[in-house]
Amino acid sequence: MEFKRVVGTRRTIRFFEPNRAVEPEKIQIMLEAANRASRAVNADFVKAIVCYRDELTDEVRERLKTPTTTVQLDLAPVAIFWYGDLAFADNAQSRLKELVDLGALPVTHGWSHRYVDDVAVAQSVEPMSKDAMASTWAVSVESGLAIAQAMLAGVDEGLGVGLHSFDAETAKAVLKIPDNWIPMWMLLVGYPAESPEAGGQRPRRPLGDSFHRGQYGSPWDEIPEVTERLKEEGMIQAPMDPARRLAEIRRLAERFGLPL
Amino acid sequence: MNTGPLSGERSVRHWLSELEPYREERAVTAARLAVLGAFCAHAGKSPDELVAFCFLRKRATGQRFLSGARRRAVNGMLEKFVAEQGWIGKDAVSNTNIVRSFLIHNGILIQGAVWREP
Repeated sequence: MEFKRVVGTRRTIRFFEPNRAVEPEKIQIMLEAANRASRAVNADFVKAIVCYRDELTDEVRERLKTPTTTVQLDLAPVAIFWYGDLAFADNAQSRLKELVDLGALPVTHGWSHRYVDDVAVAQSVEPMSKDAMASTWAVSVESGLAIAQAMLAGVDEGLGVGLHSFDAETAKAVLKIPDNWIPMWMLLVGYPAESPEAGGQRPRRPLGDSFHRGQYGSPWDEIPEVTERLKEEGMIQAPMDPARRLAEIRRLAERFGLPL
Repeated sequence: MNTGPLSGERSVRHWLSELEPYREERAVTAARLAVLGAFCAHAGKSPDELVAFCFLRKRATGQRFLSGARRRAVNGMLEKFVAEQGWIGKDAVSNTNIVRSFLIHNGILIQGAVWREP
């Protein structure tokens, strides 16, 4: 799929084909996409546990369910539990020096081993790692970047994806999560049981509501030709049609015995 | 539509009004009401009481909140109800989800069983 169409096609899938297995190869592609994400100090902020629903014991599966996640966990063949690692500063020095040696952090931009030792790590990375709010911010932002890439890779592979919160305390116990990992999202993965467009693209406000040029209060002025091109190339897709969606939900509810 | 002995319950009237867009046949709606009525009898609560049961108030502030424990309790009651009725397979799933539909339309996010073809 072309990149713009992948972006336009991604949406939260809530109905998965429960008995259609997800190939581990496709999960690996998603993990590699996460692994290739932009990351400060080249640290491995994001961590994940891939759980195949049918490989979990009944006890673990039941413990992971809450009154708000039962349906999703029963329908999705795979759940990826994403975490952020608060120990991101470990080995930051050697990773940064490696980037200096490779020329990724070039001398033209002021980088040197001495700068890494005296300033970058001592005055920036280490203090940030010891500040609870700053490190949680960094871990969350960096993990989000990686999770987004994993989701897009999944869509590119024809899968449906959806992020959900989860019971972090139970998950920590049953998945044996280290103390320095903090919970991010649970990403459910499977082949959609709903139509891939899932009723159409979700409503979004105009660009100018959120994005500005030069300064706040000067909204980004959309270029109509670009908007049209993005429609042709699939980043902007047909909006949701409530009547069609209602009919689809009814069909799915009947199939899975779900409440209407 | 005459909703029988449940018609006086505000929560039931609200539920039925929310289902109107689905334009169900009268027999389907009647079957829904029969399941809800039987469950309420099993639980010893009226529909309005069942909705109220899912909420608690914080001791410190008195603020009303949707209780996870109470929702788990309702799911537990539904399991016993299904066993009592002798429902199995998709009937068991669909019928318990009729009760969850009633709760959902009254503001209670509650999930339970899903029917998966073998």
